Amino acid sequence: MIEIKNLTFSYLDSEGKKKSENPQLNRVNLSINSGEFVLVCGPTGSGKSTFLKTLNGLAPNFTGGVISGELLLDGINLLGSEPHEFSHLVGYVNQQPEGAFVADIVLDEIVYSAEQLAISKEQIKESLDHLVELLGLEGMLHRPLTTLSGGQQQRVAIAAALIGGAKVLLLDEPTSALDLKGATEVLELLQKLSREEGVSVLLAEHRISRVIGAVDSVIVVHGDGSVTKGKPAEQFNDSRFAPPIIELGKKLGWNPLAMTSNQGRKLWQQKPAEYARRKINESGALVLETRELEVTFGKVTAVKPTNLKLFGNQVTALMGENGSGKTTLCWAIQGSGYRTSGTVLTVAGDPKDLSTQDRLALVTMVPQRASDLLFLNSLAEELKESDNFAKVQPGTTGALFLKLAGRIDTAIHPRDLSAGQQLSLVLAIQLVKNAPVLVLDEPTRGLDYAAKRALAKQLDQLRTNNRAVLLATHDIEFVAMVADRVVVIDSGELVLDSNPLEVLGTGKELSSQIAEITGEQGLITIEQVLN
Amino acid sequence: MFTVRLCRDDSPWSKSISFYLQLGAIVVSLRVLFRVIFNLGDATENILLDLPAVSIDIGFGNTVHLLGAVSALSIQAALIDGFRLAAIILSIGMANSLANPRKLLRATPGALYEIATAVSIAINLAPQLIASLKQVRRARGLRGNSKGISALTGIVIPVLEDTIEQSMQLAASMSARGFGRRCNRNAIQLRLTRFTSFLTLTFITIGVAMLLFSPVQQYVDLLIILAGLAFAAITLRLSSTKTTRTKYIVQRWGVVDAIIMASSALVLLTALSGAFSQ
Repeated sequence: MIEIKNLTFSYLDSEGKKKSENPQLNRVNLSINSGEFVLVCGPTGSGKSTFLKTLNGLAPNFTGGVISGELLLDGINLLGSEPHEFSHLVGYVNQQPEGAFVADIVLDEIVYSAEQLAISKEQIKESLDHLVELLGLEGMLHRPLTTLSGGQQQRVAIAAALIGGAKVLLLDEPTSALDLKGATEVLELLQKLSREEGVSVLLAEHRISRVIGAVDSVIVVHGDGSVTKGKPAEQFNDSRFAPPIIELGKKLGWNPLAMTSNQGRKLWQQKPAEYARRKINESGALVLETRELEVTFGKVTAVKPTNLKLFGNQVTALMGENGSGKTTLCWAIQGSGYRTSGTVLTVAGDPKDLSTQDRLALVTMVPQRASDLLFLNSLAEELKESDNFAKVQPGTTGALFLKLAGRIDTAIHPRDLSAGQQLSLVLAIQLVKNAPVLVLDEPTRGLDYAAKRALAKQLDQLRTNNRAVLLATHDIEFVAMVADRVVVIDSGELVLDSNPLEVLGTGKELSSQIAEITGEQGLITIEQVLN
Repeated sequence: MFTVRLCRDDSPWSKSISFYLQLGAIVVSLRVLFRVIFNLGDATENILLDLPAVSIDIGFGNTVHLLGAVSALSIQAALIDGFRLAAIILSIGMANSLANPRKLLRATPGALYEIATAVSIAINLAPQLIASLKQVRRARGLRGNSKGISALTGIVIPVLEDTIEQSMQLAASMSARGFGRRCNRNAIQLRLTRFTSFLTLTFITIGVAMLLFSPVQQYVDLLIILAGLAFAAITLRLSSTKTTRTKYIVQRWGVVDAIIMASSALVLLTALSGAFSQ
């Protein structure tokens, strides 16, 4: 049981002296029962992570800032205590487990917390056996953490967070880096933990379309300091983060709204709506072609000899599970990544053989860790440098960033932007370079639906001047929105190359939620539905 | 050195040894270069290099002599100085390459929380620095930069920021998992351990510095180091009076560990016999 009373949290201003005038969290009052499964959502950069961190002392102890109010865990006020004073009550799982692991071997990692808490050996053994069975970690205990898949790593992180007996589990976007299979596994586990083990689960997520049917309640961090809690149906008035299923219900006037695909299917069948044809752009001329492109690391073949053609005026989506070779292929095409053999043909030659400057004029890429591209001391300087480099009108990058992320104070340090805002900034910086080939590696991580729609609109406008866009992603709904062609890669091999209606349509492995609900051929996005 | 090559594994920190080797080489060459530039110019015999002497009056009646005749003896002294520093750097590097810093931290008593956190950040710094450098350079290639951006803002600052951020993330994660808990420990005990650990570090640092840089009063240095070690023993005794942790996983003593310990003991013996035979 968690009770939050009048919780206020503000970051300090840039001189580190005063509180900023608008607190990140302002007079929050709510409580969470044991065994409650709660989704924490809100627009990009609203402070979801900060909210979670206040619940185990990471904020303000590791983030800086000032906190006031009361935070009662089983009746004891722990507000402002160091994180280790929470560790027997609250478990915390991060977005990128690999950066947060404290050991190298699965077993060491899981028992770490229990060792720190001086739990007896017999008790550790007992909880360990229980968690291993519950989370399906059999046979993994003596493996190095680096050899596990993303989904397996997250399951280890969950076990490690719970072994100390914590009955509250905080998860900060645990599935954002996972493919559909990994994400579904993790979500099912979380549901089981809350139902069967009585663990209160607080899950901050952006990909919520498949979560809202499973949760008991929803906390919305609005971004203006207010935080509200309620039933899922009441909490999605703000379309910035409402998932497709809610948007569909609102569009068609369903009352009550459907929360799961099953409920939606029944309502659709009672009264199906008309829908428009999904626009697929005519392909332009051939822009880039890979010939027998192969990448091997030691004995592991990451990308088998690949022949892929990218055409102009088209967005080509590259989909596949974690570890299937998407990112490796992107870097090999961009030219600075490692290749074993093969060539990439363009009018300007192979990007690998070009100077950095010439390569950027031909191929621009947004990598997964977008924040690596930011290096100046303020948002204003970043925008100015981008305009300078691309030799465009001053303010061009800023205008684009405004469209993607909304208005943000340009004095802010880029490292203080949220992950979604950093990504928007890097997207804007790379888009103004106006190169004929654009490679995007997981560009929707941490973006809310509004930001995704803005990005989709931007990509739509790029389908001119014979520009080719390659989009590597897990995000089915985003692919449904923007792609003209979908290529599926499996264990380094291209196994499918078709149009999005085929790949994401009803009954397919990668079918979009709208296709799943309506069961209509040729209907994959909410935008197609007419009201 | 060979022991390091044999025993290191494939983990990221084990690759940092080449970084430390390069750092050592830089230190030695800088030391010699400085000796040549800031030469006293008063060498009379064994002239190795006769450069034109430059004398600059910096005011206040002082003159700085640059370049001039360089004797073999002064170069030798510079080399010895440089190698001494390089050896220290290499020792840290070798320890870093062999020992998994995270395993080391598991064994640190919880009462030394503040120091251990600082050490964990410091220990992770070099390998993290190398990883960040690679990442940032790759990213620079993706963004490009206009002429007004220097390498300092473009590479050095992001690398440092990234490194510190990653190390802080590890520290945050360890704390969230219960590292540094002080079960059943009152404030007086805490302050006492903090005070003694402060004394330990101060004495050992001063002692080692004296031993290395002014090896005249050898017995004083040794006494100070011994005092430091005594405080260390007291600190450890104080901080482990009550069991605050369980040892679920027992580290096994393997062949590799035996080799490392044996070769270290050999080095120590050689050094000691050298010191006493002088």
